[in-house]
Amino acid sequence: MSEQRTGTVLVIDDDPTNRLLLRRGLEREGLRVETAADGVEALERLARPGIDLVLLDLLMPRLNGHEVLARMRADSRLRHVPVIVVSGADETAEAVRCIELGADDFLPKPFDPVLLRARIGAGLSRKWLRDVEQDYLEQVGLVVRAAGEVEAGTFEAASLDTVATRDDALGGLARTFQTMAREVRAREQRLERQVGAMRIEIDQARAARRVAEITETDYFADLQRKAASLRSGERGTEST
Amino acid sequence: MSRIVSIHSFRGGTGKSNTTANVAALLAAEGRRVGVVDTDILSPGIHVLFGLDQDAVGNSLNSYLWGRCTMPEAAYEVTPATLGGDGRIWLVPSSVAAQDIARVMHDGYDVGRLGDGFRTLIDELGLDVLILDTHPGLNEETLLAIAMSDALAIVLRPDHQDYEGTQVTVTVARKLAVPTMVLVVNKTPAVFDEDEVRERVEKAYDCRVATVVPHSDELMALSSGGVFAVDHPDHPVTDRYRGLAAELMS
Repeated sequence: MSEQRTGTVLVIDDDPTNRLLLRRGLEREGLRVETAADGVEALERLARPGIDLVLLDLLMPRLNGHEVLARMRADSRLRHVPVIVVSGADETAEAVRCIELGADDFLPKPFDPVLLRARIGAGLSRKWLRDVEQDYLEQVGLVVRAAGEVEAGTFEAASLDTVATRDDALGGLARTFQTMAREVRAREQRLERQVGAMRIEIDQARAARRVAEITETDYFADLQRKAASLRSGERGTEST
Repeated sequence: MSRIVSIHSFRGGTGKSNTTANVAALLAAEGRRVGVVDTDILSPGIHVLFGLDQDAVGNSLNSYLWGRCTMPEAAYEVTPATLGGDGRIWLVPSSVAAQDIARVMHDGYDVGRLGDGFRTLIDELGLDVLILDTHPGLNEETLLAIAMSDALAIVLRPDHQDYEGTQVTVTVARKLAVPTMVLVVNKTPAVFDEDEVRERVEKAYDCRVATVVPHSDELMALSSGGVFAVDHPDHPVTDRYRGLAAELMS
């Protein structure tokens, strides 16, 4: 489980002390931590990939936590990054609002470190599973695209090399697909060779000259007569 | 009634002698008395397939052509022991001795004697069918063999090297009014589609393809011993030769 519970957490809080405490606590847990002092700074960092989970304060200058949350959920690239709201406002209404805005969890300050650790762990697990699923779907997409390419005659078996290294059923499917595509290609090449070999193009004029060299001789004329009489003679013999 | 059948190919290396030997064996297996004459005087070879030791051979086709013996005196029975039934095969070999081949090349011979010899052979041995394994190309003895034949099989490979010569042979044979003429597409790579091959060849020459015989390493290994149809009577390839034999006799 350790693999899926590591990751990079972005701590968004305008209070330097909170940021420092959270950073120390999380780094002790083996997590990588980055920080942002307000919503604007946070969105700038989130515009780049690499953040697996966000710890979000609500009350901040420039851009507050609600706004950050709303913008993240409106952004297809950030929609699935888990967000845990850590707020001083211990009100059910606030928690409901944040969850409605798309927060995965809500923790009132002061937070219980054990509870925070557990929730971060659960969030990272969800993110990890989603990443795995996303990766799987992308690779399924590659196989589907390959099927279309085979139809179009543009398939290169190497385009499935990555998928083919998987040790699951999808990897097996990709390998089978590569093998089949290579066999189809080999068969096409054989047929192309066959069509080439079976293109019977005869230089009729030259063949006619060669025939004439043989048939326009006295020997041949004599043979034709003999053949005719031989065959008629045979028939005569048989009839008697 | 007896029949004369010629197995010919314009180029060498098409498997003509193998085809001849297989057709002969299959006709004999049906109880026929079969004669085979190796008229490929310049490059004899079919005796090997029938296991005839040339060192033990006195007379040959050459001896007959030079007036030293009758053609029946140059005929050797080569019926395979495993053939069974009443069928028999006699072979008139050509000499493999270098001086004999050189003499043929240098002095030639009376081609006309061939025809008389064939007739004598048929009569004295009581043959049902005489099969002539011809020399590639269209020299005088080959033309004579074709002219005397009731049926002609022209063997070719599906290869550009064979196409034009086959056209020449087909045209010449038509001028000699051979009653039955069929093509044999031999040594066809196993990956080729046989029906496609047959269709293209028949269309190109306006001539019936009696059979398409595949070529494979397996077949080469199986046929190295002797006559394929004798050693492998139930093999699908033997059935192709059987079909060819039937067409040549019809």
